Formats: sequence, C-alpha cells, structure tokens
Amino acid sequence: MAHTKEILTLAVEIADTMLRSGAEIYRVEDSVIRILEAYGLEDADVYVLSNGIFASANENKEDACSMVRHVPMASIHLSRVAALNQLTRDICDHKCTIEEANTRLQECRHLPSYSHIIVLLSCGLACASFCVLFGGSVMEALFSFCIGVAEQFFLFTCQRHKVSRFLTTVYASVLISLLSIFVVITGLPVHHDKLVIATIMPIVPGIVFTTAIRDFYNEDYLSGSIHLIDALLTALCIAVGVSLPIVLFRYLGGLVQ
Amino acid sequence: MNYIIQFFLAMAASFAFGILFSSPRRELPFCGISGAIGWIVYYLITIHSGNTVAACLAATFILTVFSRTMAVLRQNPATIYLLSGIFPLVPGAGIYYTVYYLITGEKALFAAKGLETFEIAFAIVFGIIFGFAIPQVLFHKLGSMRKK
Repeated sequence: MAHTKEILTLAVEIADTMLRSGAEIYRVEDSVIRILEAYGLEDADVYVLSNGIFASANENKEDACSMVRHVPMASIHLSRVAALNQLTRDICDHKCTIEEANTRLQECRHLPSYSHIIVLLSCGLACASFCVLFGGSVMEALFSFCIGVAEQFFLFTCQRHKVSRFLTTVYASVLISLLSIFVVITGLPVHHDKLVIATIMPIVPGIVFTTAIRDFYNEDYLSGSIHLIDALLTALCIAVGVSLPIVLFRYLGGLVQ
Repeated sequence: MNYIIQFFLAMAASFAFGILFSSPRRELPFCGISGAIGWIVYYLITIHSGNTVAACLAATFILTVFSRTMAVLRQNPATIYLLSGIFPLVPGAGIYYTVYYLITGEKALFAAKGLETFEIAFAIVFGIIFGFAIPQVLFHKLGSMRKK
C-alpha cells in the first residue's frame, strides 16, 4: 500500500487544478474524498473554500498527514475540469495506479487552450450575435464584432501584465464605452446602448454568479458568499467603467443621445 | 423565420463562449445548443406574455435540466453546458440601463431598471435551484437507459 502522503498529495493536486479551472466547491470536495477512498484511506477530512484547500488523512495513525493550499482565482478552463473529472472517475473505478494518475494529472495541466486568434474571433462573434439578439441592426452587429475583438485583445494584454481583475474589468468597460461613443460620433445610424450591452457580455460576471448559486445550493455558504460578493463587485466595476466616458462626453457637449 | 434566426444566433453566441472558457472541442456544439434552448424559451415567453422575470425563470430551469441531461449522457460535468448556455440570460443589459438612468438623473427609470435587474438575477437563482432539485436518480436512469 502506498504512503498516505503520496495519496493525499495526488488528491490535493487534482483538487487544486480543478478549483483553479473553475469547478464548483462541491465537486472538488467530493473528488478528493472519492480519490482517498479509492486508494484505501478511510479516515480523511477535506474542506474546500473558493480559494483554499484543507485536507488531512489518517489523523490517529502514525503516518498522519495534512495539507493546506492557497488557490488564487485563475481563468476558467472547462476542458481541464472535464478531463480531471474523467480522471477521478477512472481512479474510483480502480483503473489507474498512483503513478499513472500523476502522469495524467500533468497532461491535464498542460491541456492547450484555443489559440489567441480563435479566441479573439469567437469573442467578436459572441458580441455580434448578442447585438442582434438584443435587437441591434446588422451594422451595429458589425461594430460589435470589431469592439469585441479589441476588447478580447485588451483582456489578453491585461492578463499578460497581471493587472488585477477588478481594474481589468473597469478598464475594459471604459474601453468598450469609449469605442462605442466614437462609433456613434461618426454619425452612423447606431445606438450607443446596443453596442455596449452586446459587448459587455464577455466581462459580465455570469460565471461567478452561477457558481455562487450552486455553492449556496450545496450548502457551501462561505464560498457562495465570496463568489456572490465577487459577482456584485464585478457588476459595479462594469457600471463605473461604462458610465465614466458617458459622463465625460455629456459634459463635453452632450453627444450621447 | 425570426425564431430560427434567434435560435441560431443564440447558438453561435454560446458556442463562442464555450471557446472563451476553453470547453472541450467535442462538447462545443452542445454548449451552443444549451444556450440556444435557453434563449428560445426566454424569447417565446417574453413575446407572448411580456414577463421577462418569468421567462428568465423558465429558461434557466430548462437550461439547467438540459445541462444535467447532457452531463449524464456525455459523462461530463454539468458546469460545462450550464456556464456557456446561461450567458444570453445574464442581465448585462440591466446593469447598463440601470447605470445609464442613474447618471442621466432619471430616478424613476433607474429604480425600475435596478429592480428589474435584481428580479432577473433572482429568477436565474431559482431557475438553477429548481433545476438541481430534480433528484439525480432520474438522470442516472436516463443514462442507464441509453447504455442498454
């Protein structure tokens, strides 16, 4: 039988990557417990927060072991969640030794994202589709596409320079609002509101909000509250960012509607 | 005809969001379909009754059930389909109009929009909760039916 420490490390590493990639708290806790059970550790406890993991095993025996992890919020990567879910499933079916599991975990960590070009274009596509869904014209959709691409490019730049999430949100919404105002100023038949509501969709806190609800549903109240506050603050940042250019231009001459 | 256009646009938007969140390539079409189903339910109810809150509640509920069904059928976490699909329903427009009326000083419209945004957010909350309240056993049955 393998060492307690080895098993616990594997379980916690898997949990760490899952949490980073955007899995909900309940799934992470459940996976750790199942993995530990599958490898024959019976006396184990795990507590997962939205940005931390606490786990211990075999507390009453000689090889007692416990681990604490700090997991900062990172970008959503659903492929990793899916792959790790499959890995956990295989471990529970005893299809996978610890060594194999470790190799597969490394593979999961290096799962590629889509290339930057594809992400840029799909952000544009999403904004353009939303524009028409929310009642915009074809021309507005075209401009949304361009603003969406610019926005995603800006988000990539912020990510590279490690700008804090809230500032990124504020800057991105200022950018969106400014670009939309410039389009309106040119005199083309477009509406500022249609452009903005379509192009803020990629930064709207839909994910954190959904995660918060699911945390509350699974009775993880603390993580749920953290996610909910995150969602509210992000919404506030968007509101501030979008309104700044509008206020500015109203003072300068009331160009916006 | 209009419905078909709406359906495919919502599908394209959710598909693109699937890419933004790096969903697995094979699941992207299903992310798209989940978004399209949610939106079309929302759209139909809004047009026929004008009640956006009820529409959001129903759409989120159906979206959640669809995501869980897909999760069982395709052996993936429901999160993948739910997160991409829910975006068309998130009240981004509500946030914008609320703040717009605030800075233009139209207090009554501001209050109305702000309230509506919160109501929609709560509708989404309860839609998801009702969707998850259906016992997992039923979904497992569905999964085992398919395997036979």
